[in-house]
Amino acid sequence: MQIQVKCSCGAEKCPEWAIIELQGVVEVQPSFQHSLQNLQIGLLCRPSSQENYTFTVGYHELTGSKVALKKPMVVLKKIKYMDVATSSSSCVELDVVGVIRHKILFKTRPTALISGPQPTVKEKINAAGA
Amino acid sequence: MMEQPHSCCKGAEVLLNLQPTSSVSIQYHPFFGSHDDLVLLELDEKLLSDVLYQRVTLRGQPDEDAVLCTKSKTYSVKFVGTSNSVFLIPPADCSTSHESGGENYKQQVATASVIKVAPGNMELVEVAPRLDKLKSILSENLYSSDEASTAMGDLYKWDDLINKVQASDDELKAGLQALSAVEIDGYWRIVDEKYMDVILRMLLHNSVLNDWLLDSLVEDKVVSVLESDGFPRKLVYHCLNVYGSSVEEEAMGGGVWRLDARRVCVHFARGVLREGKRKMESFMEEWLRMIPEEMQPSFDMLEGEVLTEKIGVETWVRALSVSSLPTTPAERFSILFKERAKWEWKDLEPYIRDLNVPGLSSEALLLKYTRRSQPSIDAEPVFSAR
Repeated sequence: MQIQVKCSCGAEKCPEWAIIELQGVVEVQPSFQHSLQNLQIGLLCRPSSQENYTFTVGYHELTGSKVALKKPMVVLKKIKYMDVATSSSSCVELDVVGVIRHKILFKTRPTALISGPQPTVKEKINAAGA
Repeated sequence: MMEQPHSCCKGAEVLLNLQPTSSVSIQYHPFFGSHDDLVLLELDEKLLSDVLYQRVTLRGQPDEDAVLCTKSKTYSVKFVGTSNSVFLIPPADCSTSHESGGENYKQQVATASVIKVAPGNMELVEVAPRLDKLKSILSENLYSSDEASTAMGDLYKWDDLINKVQASDDELKAGLQALSAVEIDGYWRIVDEKYMDVILRMLLHNSVLNDWLLDSLVEDKVVSVLESDGFPRKLVYHCLNVYGSSVEEEAMGGGVWRLDARRVCVHFARGVLREGKRKMESFMEEWLRMIPEEMQPSFDMLEGEVLTEKIGVETWVRALSVSSLPTTPAERFSILFKERAKWEWKDLEPYIRDLNVPGLSSEALLLKYTRRSQPSIDAEPVFSAR
């Protein structure tokens, strides 16, 4: 069996995706679990001309930086379709829908912001990870 | 830095081009979800263009671990999980983000939406092509002299082999070459050794009859004579390929071939030992009798093809061809140590010379799969199973 890896957007036009990576888990308050669409997770700021960033999630503030990935990644989308021609079972194709070369990485423990409204989304330190 | 022809205030672009003293709101995408159909694959920069230009495929049967193949290499695909939260942010679909009206204009807050939290990514590790399967499927139906009357089992064309064997195109071609496979009527076949023996002997017989020189056989002559003896043309060419090498093409009469002494001698040695082991004297006598006059056989031609063992005062010879052994190191060493518990390097080397494990040198292979011992300072080191 052979699965073709395609790039239907074209190699030159393959868009760049982004990653924000942090240690820990973002939790949504139970009442908002089913209406996540467009819910804000947090605010990402770039305070100066350096590639340093802050990410405020609920009452936690994380600091991190934009880093180039040691090895690039591609985003693959699995496409299943019925092959009418051979009338056999479903065929699978992989389509490259994006390339990732950078991520914004937060490696440090968050600092707690003392004042601020009750968050609908909060960052929880993963006990095992931190 | 990417130049945006129009101001796009959403998605990955905003995030990657965030200006000093700016901020962007990170949100859950309207279609946020598990999106199991979206996977991340990490790869070396040099593979990236192969992937983007559609030069790679995934190969394997449903019950096998998939491999990714470029034109010439094979990689195993493994999932590596992460305990971090990896928020995946696609580029904005700018076509839908522009709405007319000033109302939207003043609300233009930069946003980037997370479509999925990735549990990890796929990684590639270069591996040796899995060619043992090629040999076993082509051996199901050897091409023999009574081809017409044998039941047709599964025969394989190139495309069938691609579907069944986890190897890149170039590696598959090399594998077919190593097996001395031949394409007949579009199907790749391994010819039965006994049939090859018949054709070779007929060729040698005709060489004597017609005073042909074994190191300058004229292709057209050889083919026409053997064809008139009833052998398929394709197989005569195949015989020349298997036992010879083509020499500079002559202007007339097509190609010229030189028979390779080692390959011919190995062939006859295997024939002598086909029924089982023989005492050295008996083996040498029969073997020498079969070799063409012009060729000088020597026992070291048989390295990697025969094993000698002392039983009592007699030395016996038996066939063990490296080409019959598995290509994966663990299995190869296992069989070698079953054949013989202890090996000296000079005997072992021909049987592991062809092992190919990307990233492992032959010293590393020995370290990994064998135990080395040296009975005394001036004795030869000996290798045995771990």
